[in-house]
Amino acid sequence: MFAIVEGPIDVGALISEAQRPDCGAIATFVGTTRIDESEGASVEHLEYEAYRPMADRKLEEIGTEIGERWDVGHVCIVHRLGRVDPGEPSVAIVVASARRGPAFEASRYAIERIKEVVPIWKREVWSDGYVWVGSQVGTRGRGGFESGQV
Amino acid sequence: MIKVLFFGAAADRAGTRETELEVEDGATLAEIWPLLAGRHPDLGPMRDTLAFAVNGEYARGEDAVSPGDEVAVLPPVSGG
Repeated sequence: MFAIVEGPIDVGALISEAQRPDCGAIATFVGTTRIDESEGASVEHLEYEAYRPMADRKLEEIGTEIGERWDVGHVCIVHRLGRVDPGEPSVAIVVASARRGPAFEASRYAIERIKEVVPIWKREVWSDGYVWVGSQVGTRGRGGFESGQV
Repeated sequence: MIKVLFFGAAADRAGTRETELEVEDGATLAEIWPLLAGRHPDLGPMRDTLAFAVNGEYARGEDAVSPGDEVAVLPPVSGG
């Protein structure tokens, strides 16, 4: 399953769905919101947006790439959009395979590819402004750069 | 007329998420860019970091667009 969702990700349910009699390994990667701190300020939450349906299609393409590279029985990638509070999952990847090697490798591959090709963006909302991760554009330390209206 | 979508930091800098642009049939992305940067001057400094998509697939500067196409301006992706 490849999905982009706007609510919480039920990681336990995704793992249950990956259980198969022909697979002896399930590897799971979960990306969660981390509170960073700097200059007396801290991250309060993250906000994600996506270019859809391109982002949905790119997730499916990653699944296809995994199928071409590894012998896996099940691949699931779910990415969340909107506000994600500290500790909550923003992305979950679950891969099942007969033995552990392909499951570990394919789940790592999936998160690295997401960060390369899937048109999803996050901004860190800090106690003193926000920053688009990767672009360093935002309102932190910019003396009130008026750009938060969109 | 083409539709242009802005995302993430590019939407911030453009001050909008969507605009329409009159372009000549067969104009390339590289030729369209000065029109966008002219209309949204704060986008200009981001040029080297941006990628583009045409109708939902990554495209390069030499790729042409046609009336009715959807062009997306994509800052460095940061999912996960």
